[in-house]
Amino acid sequence: MASRWVLLAVVAVHLGHCIEENGLTDTMSHVYEPAWMYKCIPDEGCQRTRHHQLSDNSTSMVFGSLDVCRTVCGRFGGLWPRPVTAAISMQTVGIHPNYLRFDLASVPVETRELLVEMTKVVGENLLAECDGEVTVVVETPVIVFMNVKTADMRLSWETSEAYTLDVQTKDTQIAVHIHAETVYGARHALETFTQLVAADRPDYSDERKCGLQLVTGAKIRDRPVYKHRGLLLDCSRHFIPMVDIKRTIDGMAANKMNVFHWHVTDSHSFPLESTRVPQFTRYGAYSADEIYSAEEVRELIKYAQVRGVRVVIEIDAPAHAGNGWQWGKEYGFGDLAVCVNQWPWRHLCIEPPCGQLNPANPAMYRVLRDLYRDIAEALPQPALLHMGGDEVFIECWNATEEITNYMKQKKYETNENGFIELWAEFHAKALEAWDQELEAANGTPPQPVMLWSSELTQAHRIQKHLSKDRYVIEVWEPINSPLLNQLIKQGYRTVSVPKDIWYLDHGFWGKTTYSNWRRMYAHTLPRDDNFLGGEVAMWTEYLDEQGLDTRVWPRAAAVAERLWADPVSGVQSAEPRLQRQRARLVARGLRVDAMGPAWCAQHDSKCF
Amino acid sequence: MKWWGEALGRGASAQFARVGRMRRALLLLAAAACTAAALLYWRQQSDDRPNRPLQALYAGIEPQWTWVCRNYRCERLLASESSTLQSLQTCNMLCDSTQLWPQPTGPVSLATAVVPVRADGFKLQIVSSPSRDVSDHLAEAFELMKEDMRMLERSMGSDSRPSDYGSPHEVLVRVAINGSGDPRMRLDTDESYKLALRPARKALVADITAHSFCGARHGFETLSQIVWMDPYASSLLILEAATVVDAPRFPYRGLLLDTARNFFPSEEILRTIDAMAASKLNTFHWHVSDSQSFPLRLNSAPQLAQHGAYGPGAVYTPDDVRAIVRHAKLRGIRVLMEVDAPAHVGRAWGWGPGAGLGQLAHCIEAEPWSAYCGEPPCGQLNPRNPHVYDLLQRIYTEIIQLTEVDDLFHLGGDEVSERCWAQHFNDSDPMELWLEFTKKAMLALERANHGKPPELTLLWSSRLTRSPYLERLDSRHLGVQVWGSSRWPESRAVLDAGFRTVISHVDAWYLDCGFGSWRDSSDGHCGPYRSWQQVYEHRPWTEENGGISNMGVGNAAPVGGGAGAGGGAGVGPGGAAAWRVEGGAACQWTEQLAPGGLDARVWPRSAALAERLWSDRAEGAAADVYLRLDTQRARLVARGVRAAPLWPRWCSHNPHACL
Repeated sequence: MASRWVLLAVVAVHLGHCIEENGLTDTMSHVYEPAWMYKCIPDEGCQRTRHHQLSDNSTSMVFGSLDVCRTVCGRFGGLWPRPVTAAISMQTVGIHPNYLRFDLASVPVETRELLVEMTKVVGENLLAECDGEVTVVVETPVIVFMNVKTADMRLSWETSEAYTLDVQTKDTQIAVHIHAETVYGARHALETFTQLVAADRPDYSDERKCGLQLVTGAKIRDRPVYKHRGLLLDCSRHFIPMVDIKRTIDGMAANKMNVFHWHVTDSHSFPLESTRVPQFTRYGAYSADEIYSAEEVRELIKYAQVRGVRVVIEIDAPAHAGNGWQWGKEYGFGDLAVCVNQWPWRHLCIEPPCGQLNPANPAMYRVLRDLYRDIAEALPQPALLHMGGDEVFIECWNATEEITNYMKQKKYETNENGFIELWAEFHAKALEAWDQELEAANGTPPQPVMLWSSELTQAHRIQKHLSKDRYVIEVWEPINSPLLNQLIKQGYRTVSVPKDIWYLDHGFWGKTTYSNWRRMYAHTLPRDDNFLGGEVAMWTEYLDEQGLDTRVWPRAAAVAERLWADPVSGVQSAEPRLQRQRARLVARGLRVDAMGPAWCAQHDSKCF
Repeated sequence: MKWWGEALGRGASAQFARVGRMRRALLLLAAAACTAAALLYWRQQSDDRPNRPLQALYAGIEPQWTWVCRNYRCERLLASESSTLQSLQTCNMLCDSTQLWPQPTGPVSLATAVVPVRADGFKLQIVSSPSRDVSDHLAEAFELMKEDMRMLERSMGSDSRPSDYGSPHEVLVRVAINGSGDPRMRLDTDESYKLALRPARKALVADITAHSFCGARHGFETLSQIVWMDPYASSLLILEAATVVDAPRFPYRGLLLDTARNFFPSEEILRTIDAMAASKLNTFHWHVSDSQSFPLRLNSAPQLAQHGAYGPGAVYTPDDVRAIVRHAKLRGIRVLMEVDAPAHVGRAWGWGPGAGLGQLAHCIEAEPWSAYCGEPPCGQLNPRNPHVYDLLQRIYTEIIQLTEVDDLFHLGGDEVSERCWAQHFNDSDPMELWLEFTKKAMLALERANHGKPPELTLLWSSRLTRSPYLERLDSRHLGVQVWGSSRWPESRAVLDAGFRTVISHVDAWYLDCGFGSWRDSSDGHCGPYRSWQQVYEHRPWTEENGGISNMGVGNAAPVGGGAGAGGGAGVGPGGAAAWRVEGGAACQWTEQLAPGGLDARVWPRSAALAERLWSDRAEGAAADVYLRLDTQRARLVARGVRAAPLWPRWCSHNPHACL
């Protein structure tokens, strides 16, 4: 009805033009009417077009809403990341969130509570498509039948995330069938279901009226290519408030990313509360309010779990540790860390403030152990800890007498090899502490831990110091480095974050180069059983919550599709779907960066 | 500032929660004390600190920093290690640096004594004003300053702690304006001002003298910069005495925002203008239309937005524009609206044939686009259609009415595709058509402006502003906004030819650079990202040969030196005709920017430009510049502008330590 009204009005205005002798006279109608419709052109996408340019037989492919056009246009519609296979109907049917029901009869009892939380997110996201209010009420019932096989709610590299999703419309109701091995697969299916819905309100509309359209039929089979699809957020260089972290996790969930790598400490600040060692935040937080309390951490972990995201806490060590560790002397523990905040800094670390743990001090290990215990109790099982391990600055240790004396006592050489030995010793002791605390906290057997690539993980060195059964190496070397493939060949499990492509902070400092989503998307990763996946990394030296979203999105979404689907097709076929995903994230409250002029979003494949 | 505000703004329940957390920590500790490991801990501690009771070790687990000024630097210490508690803000204000942005060009002296004030304790007295209009503007601008202060007060919440600084003082602000009765920012506006603040019994008196409303307003801005919120005292503080003598080096200090490639709602523009005012920028260059869209709803030509806007919700109505213009005017900012022509037009001009006006534009959305324009979609006005000039006259008339700017205009005029016109007019040289178009557009502008050309009409630099066409342009009325690289010879040639110029060199002041190509073909984008340091350090007018007529000699500009500074040509040091640099503008093109990302992309880099153009200090991004800009960034954030940080937070906490 509404679109017909619009059509009439536009024709009227159009006639007005023709009748007037001179269109410049001021008597012209000043009423603005939206003149655009969107036409789905196979292989091209959605094109903005004017009503009167349409012939009657083409109207089935024409939509008032760009989002609805994108939802049905093309093999994968508006889905992001791309599923393995999809058949999506070109027809849509109006729905309303109030008439959406979830049938949990076929799920294990233990999983129901979590699934209920997951389904609540669906409702919120559907409302967001209409900016919080779906004014067009359609009473057609939509019933989502959930089938989950296992009661296992652990989220790890072994978790099956596969699912199938079928949408069928019969006269009076819409049935959606979801089948998944685990709750996490089911959650991904729910996200995909949400992506089969779009608001019928035109883009840049000034109307309040808004209804939701669901495709009348769909058959989707899906599973991820890579097990580890992560986003790193540095919360030490700048404290990022919890609300912004949660919004980032919303974005990850929309893109089926499953690892939130929380770089929560560094030499700059220590905002993570430890109930056993409150000195960390007392001496390390920027202020009393810039702390992640133990309670907030638990809440975040739960929030992430509901969105299919596993929280991996990184306590970077032995380097990148300073503020938060500088209280040892006062408490009679000696120096827990050395070089802390020393100035001038250039000969003691790569960026100020300096700081490195003191491996000669046994008290340091005891304090670290207490911190690990807190983390072991907080993390969901099976707990995955990132032990840091990057950028040890030998000059700092070398400048500390206590440490060089310790090395002499241990009969380490006083050259690079000796410091490597010392460094490896640190990791061995830290791992032992973690294993024991994990066991003590939950009776959990030893778990793999993550570690950054470094001098210690060089191909000729790693096997001597780091067991491939225990360490998963996160390789951040540039793409032309052979290290990743060398480690894979040696049998190490690896995660890839090529810094020259997937570091989100690059392009704003030094000689680094910005990678836009196209470049990030185009990068491909090895396929190997030992290769787990990748991450994008948001370091925050030059960024805080003010610019967070824009810097992260939509680029992280581009990487998310690479990791989930690893498609052979290029950026061109991805762009219309990513435009849809961008609009979706904006609707969900993220401040997503533009991919191009809005004109290009309204004219798929006209801006190549 | 914001962080502390939120910390202290929490209600009592949060405080209790924190106490509860402490208690839990203590309980856990008590339990842990039973274990052997814990015993070891405590034994060690009690060995070292035998006199310290157990609770004291964990009392006050909240981090609380204090700052002390040592050797002209603020050092961060644990509050427990220091006898006095001083916030970073207060330390910064009192320790060496002026914390003013932009740095005044005349003498500055600031007291190191501090008194508390309240926003509502500021009272305005207009000692002399040349017109009622100016007085009204002053009163409103004064309220805006107080509103900014109230915003700081609100950030502290109701949790008022006893202030260490005594009871708040009243501040009487006396303003004397001796000069123009026109409150608008104009080319000949004298923006200089003097500020003298001194204690008088239990109050303070601030005298601001200026020659225009805009100058006095800048005085308010400077006054507001010696007022800050101390989170520890939960009070606004002000320096007890100050004198500032100040005038800008360049009369044109602009920021361009492109609202055509992507649409930015009015709120985004209003907030951008707030941020401009904080750094005394004075020209909001509104690149309102382009080939992608035409969001400006004009009563005299509604068809343009009707056919050219992205949608009915992506339109600036005349009321929207008037609101923006008024917002800017109260902040000493003019709105320079540019409807780019003859290139950079699109679908908005496609309705001519249907209305019986013939083709108003050619090549609209022509393909392949790369043959007819620099970026999709294409479009170029039809220079031979007289209706085009009628329409331009309507547009110009309404723009002048809406913006109230009649001494300065921008015609656009960049990147004409000769090939597009050549296809339609094979009898003419496209360059001749372009010259002809420019002359006719100027005539339309003259008619729109009551028969006389504006004092200065700007064109973008282009092939038209190169020899042999440059010589055929009228340098009495036309000026050039030079966007080419500062290294290109033609960028200099315009200056050497004596045209009044606004500098927007792509290699320094294009804020859109560095984000890669938004299309598959890799051309048509600039890089890398221009850092705030690069923006700050760009001083093209100091190049060899190029003299500059409006540069004062020495470091301090005389008060009033800003007035008419861009005026007469002289002879530069190199003997060439002096350059007539009016100033500069940072350009935020928005092919790759949408609302939400605006603030962090534009700020604090445009603030860096603001100081370059206001103060033009010879020094580059030195330590003091980092500290002052960091403070200015915090001011912007406190005013709701999502400005990007300069460096890690730790570096703000430890001034100088990251340099």
